Amino acid sequence: MDKSLYIAMTGAKNNMLSQAIHANNMANVSTTGFRSDFEQARAMGVYYGEGYATRAYALTENPSSNFASGPMVQTGNDLDIAIQGDGFIAVRANDGTEGYTRAGNLEIDSAGTLRTANGLAVLGGDSPIVIPENEKIQIGADGTVSIVGLGQGPEAMTEVGRIKLVNPNTQNLTKSDDGLFRQRDGLNAEASAEVKLRSGFVENSNVNAIDEFTKIMALSRQYEMQVKMMKTADDNAVSSASLLRMS
Amino acid sequence: MHAALYVSKTGLAAQDKQLTTISNNLANASTVGFKRDRAIFEDLIYQNQRQPGAQETQETQLPSGLQLGTGTRVVATQKEFSQGTLQVTDQPLDVAINGRGFLQVLQPDGTISYTRNGQLQINGEGQLVNADGYLLEPAITVPQGVNKITISESGTVNGYTQGVVDPQQLGDITLADFVNPSGLQAVGGNLYVETLASGNPVQGTPGENGMGSLKQGMLEGSNVNIVEEMVSMITTQRAYEMNSKVIASADQMLQYISQNL
Repeated sequence: MDKSLYIAMTGAKNNMLSQAIHANNMANVSTTGFRSDFEQARAMGVYYGEGYATRAYALTENPSSNFASGPMVQTGNDLDIAIQGDGFIAVRANDGTEGYTRAGNLEIDSAGTLRTANGLAVLGGDSPIVIPENEKIQIGADGTVSIVGLGQGPEAMTEVGRIKLVNPNTQNLTKSDDGLFRQRDGLNAEASAEVKLRSGFVENSNVNAIDEFTKIMALSRQYEMQVKMMKTADDNAVSSASLLRMS
Repeated sequence: MHAALYVSKTGLAAQDKQLTTISNNLANASTVGFKRDRAIFEDLIYQNQRQPGAQETQETQLPSGLQLGTGTRVVATQKEFSQGTLQVTDQPLDVAINGRGFLQVLQPDGTISYTRNGQLQINGEGQLVNADGYLLEPAITVPQGVNKITISESGTVNGYTQGVVDPQQLGDITLADFVNPSGLQAVGGNLYVETLASGNPVQGTPGENGMGSLKQGMLEGSNVNIVEEMVSMITTQRAYEMNSKVIASADQMLQYISQNL
């Protein structure tokens, strides 16, 4: 049978994988701090011998995530922070390693540890930030957490820690399986004084629904064309079989 | 069959939960002492189809791999304990808490639950109870003949009797506070119960050590912001529609191949 059938098949199969990436972006259209993933297809040539170079299979990959900022949503909560411009909040992942996120809807657990909404401890330097009981909590533009202690006036603001904010080169960042970003070389990023926070806001997902949807439709049509190619390959095989039939 | 189908399904399920949260907030837009819930979305794990950085040959590495995300979920709903608006009612037994803290009420099973709803009433035995008839803790009894009650900012309840100059001290209302109020479990009836996540209650006198002060003749309205809920309702509906479109599109792809091959 014509090899074009297999080539068209890899095209269709990789269209489906690309579709899954866009579906995931779309599913996370309202996930706080989510960064959408790019998807691209690459030609994988498998050439041998002389003749036409016709065996190029498709291969889908996601080279990187989109690091553009998402829309800022005002919530008015003291513990909600959004990063203005570039940068990430350092958190301790479930496996104990350091990861980076843009999701700044924080909360305090019963032991006073500052955590993200999905329970990961926010790092201040190398260790989590523990906040004593307080009347009022304020997170400054550089990540400094200060509180007014119980029974004290606003003049007695005390600093209890500083959230580790990092600004690694995004070329160097990759999304891990748990959805946190990490550096490709496995090293922890340096704290950066340049990253600016805004408290009382959270950053929404940066998924552009229209963009995603256009790509989903384009991929759908492309997929139909691959199927047409498979059908054509099949038709060709059928007619050559009938021509050569001895009757 | 087609990964996109299941991924979009998680999107639909999460938006559905978000809408439930919004509708509950809106339904409680005028519930005294109600605190709004916020649904928290989280992306699910990623499946590594091809590891980025893997050796392609001895000398070359794959520049980028293929990671497929598996969708989203609502990981939690978080109660937002911001202050609701204070409304003046001029009822002597209405108290609002201005600041942190919860009133304590004794449930019929003997456990203490916590509330921000200060619509107190007097039951047949003269005891202060909440709207459901649960006793205020510490218990305060209003004796016969008292025709005026004052509640001070620090919680002292005084009763005045006709013809008697000096007030009669009936008791003190105390408040309880938690390290992490968002960790309290809402049990309905404007009540919350303590959990491991909220930490232990810390008792205190209103107006001292960070506790809010009591305001007699006022009530704390719901902290639901109608406009905000309406806007989230729009985004939720549209996100739901788009996720269902992705499902339709994936379905068409499968239909196309099964009909044409």
